[in-house]
Amino acid sequence: MREHVGKSSKLFNGFTTIMRRFIFKVLCVGPIPNHISFIMDGNRRFAKKHNLQGLDAGHRAGFVSVTYVLQYCQEIGVPYVTLYAFGIDNFKREPEEVKCMMDLMLEKIELTIDQAISGNLKDLKVIFAGDLNLLNERLKVAAQSLMELTEQNRGLVAVVIVAYSTSHEIVQAIRESCVRKCVDGDSPLVLEMSDVEECMYTSIVPDPDLVIRSGGIDRLSNFMTWQSSRSLLHTTAALWPELGLWHLVWAILKFQRMHDYLQKKQKLD
Amino acid sequence: MDFNDPMLALSSWIGQIGDFGLDLVWRFIHIVVTLWHIVSGIFESVESYAISLGLIQKYSSIDIEKLKCLAVVVDIEAARDVSKVIELLQWLTTIGVKQVGLFDSQGLLKKSKDMILEMVPRSVLLQETGEKHISPDRIALEFISSSDNKEAVVKAANILLEKYLKSIHPENGVGENVFTESHLNEALRVVGESVHVPDLLLVYGPVRSHLGFPAWRLRYTEIVHMGSLKYMRYGSLLKAIHKFTGVRQNYGV
Repeated sequence: MREHVGKSSKLFNGFTTIMRRFIFKVLCVGPIPNHISFIMDGNRRFAKKHNLQGLDAGHRAGFVSVTYVLQYCQEIGVPYVTLYAFGIDNFKREPEEVKCMMDLMLEKIELTIDQAISGNLKDLKVIFAGDLNLLNERLKVAAQSLMELTEQNRGLVAVVIVAYSTSHEIVQAIRESCVRKCVDGDSPLVLEMSDVEECMYTSIVPDPDLVIRSGGIDRLSNFMTWQSSRSLLHTTAALWPELGLWHLVWAILKFQRMHDYLQKKQKLD
Repeated sequence: MDFNDPMLALSSWIGQIGDFGLDLVWRFIHIVVTLWHIVSGIFESVESYAISLGLIQKYSSIDIEKLKCLAVVVDIEAARDVSKVIELLQWLTTIGVKQVGLFDSQGLLKKSKDMILEMVPRSVLLQETGEKHISPDRIALEFISSSDNKEAVVKAANILLEKYLKSIHPENGVGENVFTESHLNEALRVVGESVHVPDLLLVYGPVRSHLGFPAWRLRYTEIVHMGSLKYMRYGSLLKAIHKFTGVRQNYGV
């Protein structure tokens, strides 16, 4: 009986994989975003909705969504994905909750390190961006290790944004560019836009084409407002742990409908 | 070799048919999506008319005090039709909005500033009145373009650079910390920029995108897509403002 159930389950999984690959093949007839940013909102509401116990319960469920979203983006062929994991404002939450989230992040990074070592990451390159000095030492070291381990990978680039806000990013970029100007004796002491932009935490990736926010909120919440001038902003009512294949497909279909207009706007700039 | 050529031709032919099939499916899906948007647009129009006729009770009263500052982003094509912008501002005046920032990326509305101020009753330029001194019967207008976004931040950054250089100690070569959000706010005011964060941003254009609205001011702003300015509806405007007044912000906490 168990073998029968196991076989049926394998067949079903195989069928869903084929269907998913077919859907992605159809989607790829049209333009695919070069960079999708995700504002992963709704973990706490998910935990409340489903009466999950534990301060990190919602975030654990959210991590499962992260793995699926990265897998789907990899299969579709999206080159860059940004995940807004933890904002500077989130440090104002209850200390126990912040500690829980940091511990969970550490746990998941260490799990991903193990997968990277055993070759299960499918060429995924992981980068952490944000003010990493605001993180505890252990987390910072783990993040650094994962970045080093995946540095040579040439597949999907997944940028995990932590300890970040646009306002903090702009101020730090100005600080860094001013210091560099002072150190570099050759160039004139005037800042250009490129000087500031190259010092931003998110300068490692191109500007996002599509920003997807889960949780039904219509704000950017201090996330990449500098970089998203020409981005399609898409909000879905689904809470982050509920975000699935069809939400992503819908967002990309919307992007494809508006692609010509967005390209025209970029050229005007 | 002879056997391979027909096989290659056959597999290429099969590939082309496959691509053609995928293309057809893709176009069909997009037709369905477009139809969905059309039907959804019709429902929104009907709802909007019902709201403007006062048939939907909950939109008959709005706590406008919660909306301190509204921003309107207008697509460049729409910004050429200043009469529609004036009509929108007249609606906003009727609703009781006190402060409106008008943005278009190329600054077309800035160029039409005088005409707009003349045609919108009881309107004043925000810079003249200052944010705290708007009379109850007035609407303060601010005209914003892309030059107030990144370029303005770079100008402000150069002011901070100057401050930093002046403060460098000759002994250790380290300057004062002039790199905080409040310093940047001050520097932006010096270059003539407002740093007020709009509560609500209405986007009139084909796409929900802020189109380069000053990033420094967009942090916690609710962004609502209103569709085309040409076909704007009073009911949809009321609905968007009403929805905003019911929103509760956590600010990340």
